[in-house]
Amino acid sequence: MTAVADRPTTTPAPRGRPVAPGRVLVRGSAAHRGLQVAGLLLVVALLVWASTWPLFRMGQLTNVFVLAIAIAGLNLVTGYTGLLSIGHSAFFGLGAYTTGVLVVQYGFDAMLTVPVAIGFCFVAGLLVGLPSLRIHGLYLALVTLAVGVAFPELVRRFDDLTGGAAGLVIRARLLTPPEWTGISRAQRGIWLFWVSAIALVLVLLLVRNLTRSRAGLAMRAVRDHELAAAAQGVHVARVKILTFGLSAAITGLAGALFAMYVGALAPDGSFTLLKSIELVTGLVLGGAATLLGPVVGAVAVVFLPYLTSLVAPGPVSGIAFGVLLIALVFLMPEGVVGRAQIALRRVVTVVDADHPALARTARDPGGPPEPDGQQPGPPPSTDEDQPR
Amino acid sequence: MDLLLERLVSGLTNGSVYALLALALVVVFRGSGTINFAQGELALFTTFVAWWLTTLGSPVWLAVLASIALGFVLGAGIERLLVRPVQRKNDTAVLIVALGLFTGLNALDALLFGTETKVMPSPFPNGLDDYVSLGGARLYGDALGVWVVLVVLVGLVSLLFRRTRVGLHMRAVADNPESAALAGVPTSRVLALGWGLSGAIGGLAGVLVTPLAPQQLSLTTMFTVFIAASAAALFGGLDSLGGAIVGGLVIGVLEALVTGYVPALGGAMQQTTVLVVIVLILLVRPTGLFGSRRLERV
Repeated sequence: MTAVADRPTTTPAPRGRPVAPGRVLVRGSAAHRGLQVAGLLLVVALLVWASTWPLFRMGQLTNVFVLAIAIAGLNLVTGYTGLLSIGHSAFFGLGAYTTGVLVVQYGFDAMLTVPVAIGFCFVAGLLVGLPSLRIHGLYLALVTLAVGVAFPELVRRFDDLTGGAAGLVIRARLLTPPEWTGISRAQRGIWLFWVSAIALVLVLLLVRNLTRSRAGLAMRAVRDHELAAAAQGVHVARVKILTFGLSAAITGLAGALFAMYVGALAPDGSFTLLKSIELVTGLVLGGAATLLGPVVGAVAVVFLPYLTSLVAPGPVSGIAFGVLLIALVFLMPEGVVGRAQIALRRVVTVVDADHPALARTARDPGGPPEPDGQQPGPPPSTDEDQPR
Repeated sequence: MDLLLERLVSGLTNGSVYALLALALVVVFRGSGTINFAQGELALFTTFVAWWLTTLGSPVWLAVLASIALGFVLGAGIERLLVRPVQRKNDTAVLIVALGLFTGLNALDALLFGTETKVMPSPFPNGLDDYVSLGGARLYGDALGVWVVLVVLVGLVSLLFRRTRVGLHMRAVADNPESAALAGVPTSRVLALGWGLSGAIGGLAGVLVTPLAPQQLSLTTMFTVFIAASAAALFGGLDSLGGAIVGGLVIGVLEALVTGYVPALGGAMQQTTVLVVIVLILLVRPTGLFGSRRLERV
């Protein structure tokens, strides 16, 4: 069997891809910019409203933000580049332990450890990405599995630094917000809430711009057909390794914030393979290769256990996760956000100003839309991308 | 010298178990071109059922047979109901289904059988006196039993693949499903059969491994075995039966020797060390030691 057999070169285009029957919105036009600003204002308003909630609720939201950042990192490598990683729990853990160890053992200021955590995870990601040059598909998934399995063992092995199996406690004193914020130590949840929220927004902006750039196009080309991408001049090796590094760095950022959020780290707590499975679940549920999928996925992953524990305690949440994961592959492989995008495209389509369909609609407004897959010119827009 | 022999024996015994489960992985891969990540948890489930049967007073051999049969039914059922419908989409979809099974089955075990550790009776004589002396090393009954099972099973499976019509069909489907279907091979039945076969091997491996495993029968027993087995399958090359056996034995011995002679890496770092070795080998030979290279056509 050749690799071509399990990799169809023509994936069916989503419905209504070239131009939907509804309204057409030109990217960068006044209406489009206006909607973007309105969306941003809505997000800020929601955040301000949420910051008046009780601390416990805010804590849950902080958890959602942190997980969303972690999943956004995974999205780069698994969603956009098509390299399934089940080792991202290790990067999450590396970020968390970098922050924890630097704060507890070396007396660093908590916020200053974040860039260090990002840097460490970037390098670790590059290293894990290296095998992807020679090792493909399932073999690669197992390499990342190895990383995920190894991390808790490493933490236990170097116990004089990490506290080993007993765990590492970051005292609240060490997590006091900076003075200029005027937030007291007891209220540090508010500080962390805003830090995570801003970090999430920055990460999403980064992912958005990256995936719409040439680099993003290269990532998708590698995902959809590696050989064809290489033949077109994409430097497959560089794309894979750098994506792995960046993805790990983002997930590491999430880990660093997570360390401040929980304040106590244990190798068997949040950094096992189960965390990786949680991240993958969130990604698939929210929508792989969509910008906002990770956020929706994080909300689901954080609140689903609460819901299932209301129905029945203990292992039921694991069963629910498993069933949900399988059901999603069958019923909604494009995820919540992917499905929403398809629905939205029936109402309004966003296209680039130089999109060839625009010229045609202007010439012949009543003309039938061209059938899928015969559209000449560049692909309409990058955020209409679908996970395979 | 005795110590070395003893470590080799224990390594080979663990290795035989890894080889068994690796064999199951290879059978699925040869049929469907995918790794069944839930293989270990599937085996754990059937083993729990076997344990449950022994608590009801069933003799061990009957429980073993039940585990094998259940493994076959579950394997074939999973292929038919969960894997086949998504396989046309892509590799990732199959992996995610397997991850879902992995989480779901483990939690189901916890729900049905509880989280406490159980003692699964061994199908072989495993009293303290049931051993054969071999150059100073003691070969216990259950270790010998596992070796014999491995040898017999490998013989049977390779006979099946090389000498029977069904085996020919399985190889044809693995090679090129479309051509096989055109040539009149009942592709869907063959695929389900492959998964069933691998489920049955897993069921057997599960019952054999738990009496030997340090954790006995608990929710984490098969996870470590699965990691080692998948490493073994990758090491040998995913489509090579012989590779799975060699891979399993090498990993078992490697583990035993590392734990015995390199204390800094043993114990806590056992899995990591083994996995690092595997990754290094994959870097040199991306499709394993005996795996066939694949042609890619654009």
